[in-house]
Formats: sequence, C-alpha cells, structure tokens
Amino acid sequence: MATSTLMEPMLAGPFTVEGLELPVMTTDTTDMRDLFEAQAMPFIDQLYAAAMRMTRNPSDAQDLVQETFVKAFASFKQFEQGTNLKAWLYRILTNTFINTYRKKQREPYQGTIDDLEDWQLGGAESTTATSSRSAEAEAIDHLPDSAVKDALQSIPEDFRLAVYFADVEGFSYQEIAEIMKTPIGTVMSRLHRGRRLLRDLLAGYAEERGLGTGQATTRIKTSGSTGK
Amino acid sequence: MTDCGCEKAKAELEEYLHNELRKEDAIDIREHLEHCPDCRSEHNVGRTLTEVMQRACKETAPEDLRDQVLLRLRAIQSAH
Repeated sequence: MATSTLMEPMLAGPFTVEGLELPVMTTDTTDMRDLFEAQAMPFIDQLYAAAMRMTRNPSDAQDLVQETFVKAFASFKQFEQGTNLKAWLYRILTNTFINTYRKKQREPYQGTIDDLEDWQLGGAESTTATSSRSAEAEAIDHLPDSAVKDALQSIPEDFRLAVYFADVEGFSYQEIAEIMKTPIGTVMSRLHRGRRLLRDLLAGYAEERGLGTGQATTRIKTSGSTGK
Repeated sequence: MTDCGCEKAKAELEEYLHNELRKEDAIDIREHLEHCPDCRSEHNVGRTLTEVMQRACKETAPEDLRDQVLLRLRAIQSAH
C-alpha cells in the first residue's frame, strides 16, 4: 500500500525487517470493513428472510447469507456509494443462490416456466362477483403465516422470487429485472402469474379451513379497506 | 375527468399496486376505484395478498449467524 511504503523509512528501526509487511492493519482497510458492516449488516434480517424463501430451510439459508456477505465484502470496493446497496446485496444473494443452491435443489419446471401457458399453471382469471371477492380478501387475511409460506413455497421458483422481491421487499420492476437478470416484461409476467397462483392456492387453503371464500359468506366487512 | 373504465383499471391494477404507473395513469386508476365497487374489491384482494405475504415472511436472522458473518469478515480482512 502506498502510504505504508512512504512511512517505512521513518518506522524502520532495529526491529523492522526489510520487506516485511507491517502487521498493523492500515486504517484504510479497517475503515472499509467498518463502513461495510455499518451499511450492510442492517440488511441481515431481510437477506435471511429472502434466503429462507429461496432455500426453504434455515441451515441452507444461513450458509447462503454468509456467502452473500463474504462476496459482497470482497467486492465492496466496486460498490458505488450513494447507489442502492440493498438492491446490490440482493443481486449477490440471488446470484449466489442460483449458482450454488439451485443446482442442488432441482426445480421440476426450471428454465421453461415462462413458456408455460396459463392453463398449464392452473390459474384462470377470476370472474368472481364483488361480494364473494370481499369474502375472499377477508379469508386470505385470516390465514396463518404458515399457510402463506406454504403457498409461496409451492409456486415455481422464478415466480416466487419475482413476487417476493416486489411484494415483500418493495423493489421496483426495474430493480427486479436487474436482480433476476431478465427483461422487465418477463418480470411483469412472472409477477402476474405468480400472484394469480398464490391467490388461488390461498383461497383453496381458506376453503379447506372453513374460512370460506365463496357464495355462502355474504358478510361484507368494510373495516379492512383502508387507504386508497 | 373521464373514467378510464374497468378494462384499463383491471389491466393495470397490479402495476398500480406496485407503484409502477406514471402519475397520470395512477390518478386515473385511483379515480376509477373510487367509483367502481367491482374493481375496488379486486384491488382489495390484491392488496391483501401483498399484506399477508409481508406479514408471513418476516424473519429475524439467528444471533449466531450475525456473529459468524462478522467473524468471517474479520478473518478475510486479517488475511490480507
């Protein structure tokens, strides 16, 4: 490092061997780590949550998050301060997942999912009436978290990721396109189809649990519809 | 202002929900929703879907993971 070379003549005493690197960490790299920790560590919960949806189990999720932080730190110098760090971290997370974990897990539809027709996926556009739709919203709202996670887990991975990035993380379509390295139109289609599948699955779960989304429930609650 | 109609609204509800519409389009949709119970109920299902996902997917990283990450960062640094 330039600074330590300059300092050497002054530091060179009887205990300094010529050419030996000073064991003292330069403030430069320490600052870099401090900066990285301060900026990136606050995202660990979110990254872990995303990793859980990706890998579907806590042990792989932890490995994935660790790997992500290590890679991010290694290329932190290339990160342009002032740009979106969260999106940058998610890009690394997603890449790492695709390159290592996805290979291990083997998705049945992998690669061809975008080409499937809607009828092959099972989700048809609903022509449900207004009253039963408010029952549907209410039923979905009352489902336990585990049911929602199960549903997310069971839709094709590319759809799941797009939905997760948009709905849970609030990334823009453009950001998702960059994270998933795919055109924006593909993002929109994955989102649309993913949400459609989820909605049908959740409505199904609700029905199984007797929460009911259909005709029988005519109770229309307005308290749920806040903010327009 | 003229109502944009159900067809446009239904087609763009998802983008509306995700804040992806240009301002003028978003205003059109919002106005339509105010007057159309049918589209409003559809939008409500969409919004509920987003909300339940946000609720269900909250996780806290294990303390252990946090420590391990910090350890590895420090290990990488001292190796340089």
